[in-house]
Amino acid sequence: MSNTQASFASRYLSMKSNQLRYGFSKAKRMKVCYLFLAPYAILFFTFFILPICTSIVYGFTYYNILEPARFVGFQNYINLILQDEVFLTSVKNTFVIAVITGPVGYILSFLFAWFINELPKWLRAVAVVIFYAPSIAGNAYQIFSIIFRGDAYGYLNSFLLNLGFIDAPLLWLTDPHYIMPVLIFVILWMSMGTGFLSFVAGFQGIDKSMYEAGYVDGVRNRWQELYHITLPSMKPMLLFGAVMSITSAFNVCDVPRALAGYPSTDYAARTVVTHLFDYGFSRFEMGYASAIATLLFLVMILCKKAISAALEKVGT
Amino acid sequence: MSEVMIKSSGTLIYKGKKYRGELISEQQQARFNSKKLPLELPYAEMEVLKNVRNGGMSSTITVKMKDGNEYVFMLTNGLKVYHNMDKLWDNKPVVRSRADELHRLAELRGERIVKPKKHLIKRRHPNRSIGGDIGIYLMLAAVACLMAFPLVFAIGSALKPLDELFRFPPTVFPQHPTLDNFSDLIVTMGQSWVPFSRYITNTVFITAFGTFGHLIIASMAAFVLAKYDFPGGKLFFNVVTTCLMFSGYVTGIPNYVIMSKLGMIDTYWALLLPAFAAPIGLFMMKQFMEGLPTALIEAAHIDGAGEFRIFWSIVMPNVKPAWLTVIIFSVQSLWGNSAATVIFSEAKKTLVYALQQIQAGGIARTGQAAAVTVVVMAVPIFIFILSQSQILETMASSGIKD
Repeated sequence: MSNTQASFASRYLSMKSNQLRYGFSKAKRMKVCYLFLAPYAILFFTFFILPICTSIVYGFTYYNILEPARFVGFQNYINLILQDEVFLTSVKNTFVIAVITGPVGYILSFLFAWFINELPKWLRAVAVVIFYAPSIAGNAYQIFSIIFRGDAYGYLNSFLLNLGFIDAPLLWLTDPHYIMPVLIFVILWMSMGTGFLSFVAGFQGIDKSMYEAGYVDGVRNRWQELYHITLPSMKPMLLFGAVMSITSAFNVCDVPRALAGYPSTDYAARTVVTHLFDYGFSRFEMGYASAIATLLFLVMILCKKAISAALEKVGT
Repeated sequence: MSEVMIKSSGTLIYKGKKYRGELISEQQQARFNSKKLPLELPYAEMEVLKNVRNGGMSSTITVKMKDGNEYVFMLTNGLKVYHNMDKLWDNKPVVRSRADELHRLAELRGERIVKPKKHLIKRRHPNRSIGGDIGIYLMLAAVACLMAFPLVFAIGSALKPLDELFRFPPTVFPQHPTLDNFSDLIVTMGQSWVPFSRYITNTVFITAFGTFGHLIIASMAAFVLAKYDFPGGKLFFNVVTTCLMFSGYVTGIPNYVIMSKLGMIDTYWALLLPAFAAPIGLFMMKQFMEGLPTALIEAAHIDGAGEFRIFWSIVMPNVKPAWLTVIIFSVQSLWGNSAATVIFSEAKKTLVYALQQIQAGGIARTGQAAAVTVVVMAVPIFIFILSQSQILETMASSGIKD
C-alpha cells in the first residue's frame, strides 16, 4: 500500500519535473521572445503591477505618508461599509452611472462605428473625427459648465426660457435632482472613445472577401451580415470595447469634479473614485483610500469576467 | 483558341525559394512562365491538389508535378487585391478585372453584352437596402450635430468679445468674432515667470519622445505575444489586459513612492517611463498583430530573416494603422498631462499645467478659459485628423518590399 503510494508520488514528481524541464527547454529555445518582451515587462512591472500590489497591502493599514504604515486588519473595510455613509452614496452613484453609461455607451459605440463603416470613404473620415473628438478633446467637457450654467446666461436655460418650457432658470449643476442626468448625458457624449475607435478599425480590418463569400452563400441583408460575418470576426475588438466601457464607467472622476463641484451638493455627484481622491489626495488617509481602490479593482475584474463569458457566445 | 488568355501574376514556391512569374491560362490549359527560373510548366501535366478560393477574387492552387515536386500558385484572376494578400506576391497587380476578361471573351464569341439598368440611387452593395442607407445617413447626421455642438460652442465662445460672452440670450456663433481672447492669453502668459515657449517645448518634447519610445517598446512586446507561443506569454498578456481597467488616480500614490525611491521625481523620466509601458498601446498592437497572417512571418523565416528583421521590416510596416492608433492614445495622454504631482521645477512644467493656472482665474477670465479649452483640445484633434487620413491611406495602398 505504502509502496504503491510512494511509486505514485515518485511518478507524479517525475512527471512534474519533466513538465518543468520541458517548459524550461521551451523557454530557452524561445529566449529571443523574452528579449523582445523584457523592456516592456520591466517598466510595466515597476509602474503598474507594483503600485497595485502596494495598494492592496496598504488597504490593511493606517497610513498617512508621514508616519510609517500601521497594520489595522480589516478595520478600513469595516469602516467603509458600516460607518461611511458618503461611501454608500458614492457606490450608489457609481452604480447608476456604470449601469447606464457602460452598456449604453458600449452599444452606441458599436452601432455608430458600424453605421459609419457603411459610409463612403471620405464621409467616413469626417464622421469618425466628429464622433471621436469629444473623448479626445482633453478637458473640453468643461464647456458644459457654460451650457448647463444655473443662471439665465446658461445656454440650455435661456433656450428653455425662450421656448416657455420653464419660467425660472434651473440649477442644473447644483440641484441634486438634475446633477445625475446631466452627468450621465455628458459621460455618454464622451463615450465614443477608445472602444469606438477600436470598432472602426476592426470593421475596416475585416477581410472584404468574407463579405463576398457571404453574399454568394446567401447573406441577404446587413443584419444577417452583421451577425454571421462581422460579429464573429470582431470578438477581440468587442471584448476590448467592453473593457474600455467598464473602465470609463467605473473610473468617473474628472467630469463630476469639474461640473458639479467638489464636493458637490449633498454629495449628489460623489463617485467611488472621487471618494478615493478625497481620502487619498486631500486627507492623505492612504490606507483608507487603498481599501477603496482594492474594492474597485475587485468589482471591475468581476465585471470583466462576466462580460468575456457573455461574449464567448456571440455569433455562434 | 490561343488568342484568348488570362494572365495572372503569381509566386511559385519551388524548393523553398520564391519565383515571380505569371500563370497564363488559355482555353484548356495553363502554364507558368518565369524570368528567373527556366521553367515552363504546362497545366496539363499538373495534378491539382488544392484549390482554395477566397471569395471568388483570388485563389491558391497547390499542384503536384509528375516529377514529384509540389508548387504553390497564388493567383488573382480578378486582380482586385485585398489587404495583405497582395503583399505576398506583387506590388503592381495587373489592372484588369475579371469582368473585363468576361467581356472580352464574350466579344470574341460574338455575344451581345447586356448592360445593367441604371437606377436613380445606386446601390453600393447588392445586399443593402436603399431605405436602410437613407435611414442611417439621417440618423448619423442628427447625432453628429449633437456630438459636435459643444465643441462648436467652445470655439464660438473663444471667439466672442467680452460683451457677447454674457449676453442674454446667449448665442452659439459670435456676431463680431475676435481673436482678443487668444491675444490676451499670450499677454498673460508673456508676463509669467518662465517664457511661454518653454512650456510648449517641454510638452512637445515629452509627447514626442514618450510616444516614440512607447510605440517601439510596446510593439516589440506585442509582436512576440501575438505571434509566438512561449511560457508565460499568455499570463503576462492577461495581466496587462486587467491593468487596462485601472485609472491613474487609483495607482497614483504608490506610484509616487516608487518614483521617489528611484530618484525620478522632478525629472521627465517620471512621466516618460510609465508612458512607455502604458497597457493600452500593447493591447492595441497585440490585437492587430494577431490578425496578421502567420504565413507572412513563415515566409520570412523561410527566406532566412532573423526575428528582429521580421519585426522591423515585415511586421511593423504591416501594422501601420495600429501604429497610428497607439500614437493617438499616447499623444492624448501625454499632451493632456499636467504632471502636477511629479514635476516641481517651474522651468520643467508642461503646457497644460500653465493653462490650468489661467483657467483657475475665475469669471474674469471666462473668455481666456474658453480660448485655453480650444488650444488644449485642438492639438489631439488635429493630430487625429492627420493620422486618420493616413490610416485610410495605409489601408488602401500598403505593400511590403521583400
